[in-house]
Amino acid sequence: MAIALGRHERRTNRFWSAFALPGVGWLVAFFVVSVYAVAAVAFGSINPLLRTAEPEWNPLQWDTTAFTDMLDRVVNGSLRQVFLRTFAFVGMALAGCIAIGYPVAYYVARKAPAKRRGLLLGLLVLPFWISYLMRMLAWTNLLQPDGLVNRVLRWANLMDEPRVWLDGSWTTVVWGLTYGYVPFFILPLYSTLERIDGRLIEAGRDLGASARQTFMRVTLPLSVPGLMAASVVTILPMFGDYYTNSYLTSGSPKVTMVGNQVEDYLRGSGQPNRGAALVLILMAVLVVLMVYYLVTTLRQQRQAER
Amino acid sequence: MIGSRREFLTRSARVGLALGAAVPLLQACGDDGDSEGSGGGSQVRDSIADGLEPEAGPLRIINYADYVNPEVVAAFEAQYGVRVEITTFDTDTEATTKLASGAVKADVHHSVSTNSIGNLIQGGLLQPLNRSYLTNFGNIIQSFNDPWYDPGAVYSVPYTYFGTGIGYRTDRIDPAELDAQGWDAIWMATEFAGQVSVLDDEREAFTMAMLRRGITDINTDDQDVIDQALADLTELIDLVNVKVNIEGYKDIPEGTTTIAHTWSGDMIAGAASYLPEGTGPEVLGFWHPPAGQYVLTNDCFGVLANAEHPVLAHLYINFLIDNAIAEQNFGWVGYLPALTALDADYVIGAGLVPENLRSCIPTAEEIDKALYITSLGIEGDAKWAEAWSTFNAGG
Repeated sequence: MAIALGRHERRTNRFWSAFALPGVGWLVAFFVVSVYAVAAVAFGSINPLLRTAEPEWNPLQWDTTAFTDMLDRVVNGSLRQVFLRTFAFVGMALAGCIAIGYPVAYYVARKAPAKRRGLLLGLLVLPFWISYLMRMLAWTNLLQPDGLVNRVLRWANLMDEPRVWLDGSWTTVVWGLTYGYVPFFILPLYSTLERIDGRLIEAGRDLGASARQTFMRVTLPLSVPGLMAASVVTILPMFGDYYTNSYLTSGSPKVTMVGNQVEDYLRGSGQPNRGAALVLILMAVLVVLMVYYLVTTLRQQRQAER
Repeated sequence: MIGSRREFLTRSARVGLALGAAVPLLQACGDDGDSEGSGGGSQVRDSIADGLEPEAGPLRIINYADYVNPEVVAAFEAQYGVRVEITTFDTDTEATTKLASGAVKADVHHSVSTNSIGNLIQGGLLQPLNRSYLTNFGNIIQSFNDPWYDPGAVYSVPYTYFGTGIGYRTDRIDPAELDAQGWDAIWMATEFAGQVSVLDDEREAFTMAMLRRGITDINTDDQDVIDQALADLTELIDLVNVKVNIEGYKDIPEGTTTIAHTWSGDMIAGAASYLPEGTGPEVLGFWHPPAGQYVLTNDCFGVLANAEHPVLAHLYINFLIDNAIAEQNFGWVGYLPALTALDADYVIGAGLVPENLRSCIPTAEEIDKALYITSLGIEGDAKWAEAWSTFNAGG
């Protein structure tokens, strides 16, 4: 009987596992293969006439010159400051996302009247109706010296002279990243906050904790997985972002991010293998962050199961 | 005839693939072996035969965005009863990659740059032109009949030509002062910090820095010269909070940029299309170095070696170098066609270029003595690219 049940269970498991096959196939086709293609370009050569990439598909034939050159520039050369700057911008933009996104997600998930929640969620996804690039293009107009932002600020007597927002200021880049990615941050966080068992919060209050203490000791710890997921969803694309600061700084070298360097190498330089090498180096850095996220999440799951 | 020629090209491409000579970038993943992308192949030496009937189309063009007047394209469609499909690209390298890999199939390359056209010819991407279809070729400026990048103009027809200089606002900078300062004006524009830009093009930007120091060997791969140019450009980051872009055509007329390293065509286009209401073209100025130190560039038409509609492609090029059509196109694009009839006096008299931007139109002497940015070897390219990356990183 037990054996029969075991077989049945295994068959059922296989049945449900089959549902993952299309996704796995999709990932293999469009992630693993494309990453391998990037590696083949990074370790390949350049067509001497056309300056196009000539990927080397056989790992035994890989030429590591471009990769080691770029790695050396990242560790010891001018690209180190680009990586540090990118980390700083992404860190500040993430802090902005948390400061703006957490209260919004918390309100919609836990405090908003249930009948208005659908409307609020609809408003949260509203930015997705317009493409990211279009929104950034719109802001380049709004932030011009005679643009709407300066006009409103002067009308409100908040400044005397129009401010130049698009002159390569890091604050504009961080603001742009925060603005662009905060919707991506709110949604995963909302779903975590919304799933927190209300009885745990009530128990905290019943045991004498103030509202603030309950939030700090119950709600916030329980929302950490959502915070982590939202942070990952947000910062991964931020690290590769190049169009936000291209649009909002008119190409100032003072605020160049890693994505801008990759773009330069891949699109204009005739050195696509170096651009691909930079992509691999950035990916390696992001893998470290992803591993940290996975380990932390796994640890939390184990603690919850105890 | 065309069929056999296409078979020949397909075979050549397959041989190229077998030799491992042409599988560029990620597009290689999708190559089914029948690709007609011929990058890395050998130079094509046969042009199409005389007297062929134009194909039914559609004519496929690859071009920069907004670099041909849509009304001109529509007029060609109406005249020949065909549809024209335009694929756009942002950089020369991107266009070459798309064409060499076969990811984009085109009949006409609308804007081959002069510093890459030699490589495209050697790489077998372009076919020789048959002049019997180019009845308007006589309209081309004499100097371009035997250009340095394509001796005898066998594979190309010049589309537009322009020079590199300084575009600026005459209501903020005294033209006489700028004339006296020359390239130094960009380094001295500290008063306009944040409103200064250099071209987002490594060759052009470093060339400017070299010319400022009187170096006219602009196609060097001497590391010391490149390092000095890098140091000079990097100074601009702190001195004038320099921006790196190709937006001078609109930023100067709109007033967000006061002084910019820019192309002459940008100023003509800016005067025509980007001045705010109530602002006249007299606020725009363009300075360039004297003949002998003036960098000129021209974009060219070419017919792709694997064009499926080569006759139509020839007819399209011929259409664009008709004087009246070229004038109509110039009024929209802002970059001057390389045609004798559209000289400075004519385009200024016709109101296409304001008198104060006469300097945007190169003279015969400037064309004859011009400096040209030419293709470097892979090693040379790598040096310039690394220096450019360092500059863009903030120095």
